[in-house]
Amino acid sequence: MPKRELASTGEIVDIDKSQAPAGGTQDGRPTMMVKVYAPFKVYFEGEAFSLTAENETGPFDILPKHHNFLCMLVPCNLIVQTASGARTVKISRALMHVKAERVTVFVDV
Amino acid sequence: MKNPREIKADEANMRTIVSLTSAFESLSSMKITQTKGKVLISNQFFNEVWNIYKQIRMDVMFNFGRAPDEKPIEKELLILITAQGGLSGDIDQRLIKEFRKHYDSEKNDIIVIGHHGAQQLEQIHIHYTMYFDMPKKDFINVDPIMKIIRKYRRARVFYQNYISLSKQTIEDLDLSEVVSRMGKIADLDTVDDEKITERNYIFEPNAYTVAAHLENSILRLTLTQFIYDSRLAQLASRFRAMTAAKERSIETADDLHKQYSRAKRMLVDVRLKESLAGLKKLRAKGAG
Repeated sequence: MPKRELASTGEIVDIDKSQAPAGGTQDGRPTMMVKVYAPFKVYFEGEAFSLTAENETGPFDILPKHHNFLCMLVPCNLIVQTASGARTVKISRALMHVKAERVTVFVDV
Repeated sequence: MKNPREIKADEANMRTIVSLTSAFESLSSMKITQTKGKVLISNQFFNEVWNIYKQIRMDVMFNFGRAPDEKPIEKELLILITAQGGLSGDIDQRLIKEFRKHYDSEKNDIIVIGHHGAQQLEQIHIHYTMYFDMPKKDFINVDPIMKIIRKYRRARVFYQNYISLSKQTIEDLDLSEVVSRMGKIADLDTVDDEKITERNYIFEPNAYTVAAHLENSILRLTLTQFIYDSRLAQLASRFRAMTAAKERSIETADDLHKQYSRAKRMLVDVRLKESLAGLKKLRAKGAG
């Protein structure tokens, strides 16, 4: 478990993984952590360069360093660009949450 | 007393029941392991969505996703989640018993999930508005039930809760209370970075629509979670019932085996007595 020091007290505290920025780099390109899942199935989980989806306004991309974002998706093909190529997940209804280099897509919500 | 051949046949039948109940017991145990794993995975999903919902909710007046001008039915809707078929032990009877403590035909309407519950209500002449089959697959479409729930001001769910293999409880919860309790007020003046507001988030299409959608989703997920919990509790109850039935049938089979040996011994004794009596008669004749 990674450790960090509180500047005010010098106390060593654990980093809460869910709150810590999850970005990194692959082949010199910035990445973010992406998880696409339904209650019983994980469609994709791992590092990605970008994610393409569609909402009421139209198609859009999420890239690393994106602002906090909460959005309802419309039926579309969700495309996750990874180092090993593009992964496509067909969705009918989903909620997307973006925070601290971490993108979570809750399918069937 | 039955003759040994009849007892032997009874014992053979009982051994078949032992094999059957053992098979059902193993099947239930296997299904419990599978379902338990799935429930654990789904709980992680539900918790994450709940967390977002908790941070985004701005009021405590949960209204089942109704439009403000929609007038709901003033009765309380009771939703009973029961097993699809028999062979689930006494868990459905226990649920019906709890439900009857609460039920008032003037104040309540009923919908039932699971054929066994519907059957039980028919037997006691309680009318239900609608009945749904217990979903068999992982993906549960609760939208038809949601449509009905939305018409009512209040809805209460009676479901079965898995505690352990030996303990399953019956729970009843007010749906709006459950959702309101989870989504506590987020006071805009005191929000910190953890809260999801328009100050620190971009919403698409807008904050109100996302919150309203999430409110519906949470209700849908809550119902789904109750169905998953009930499914697991029913499997555990079936496992318990099958274990008890197996133990009883083993005892009966062993008892029948003793009866068979006793009857066989008695038959031999009777024949021996008859032979001795015959021998005595012959000896008496010879002496005469």
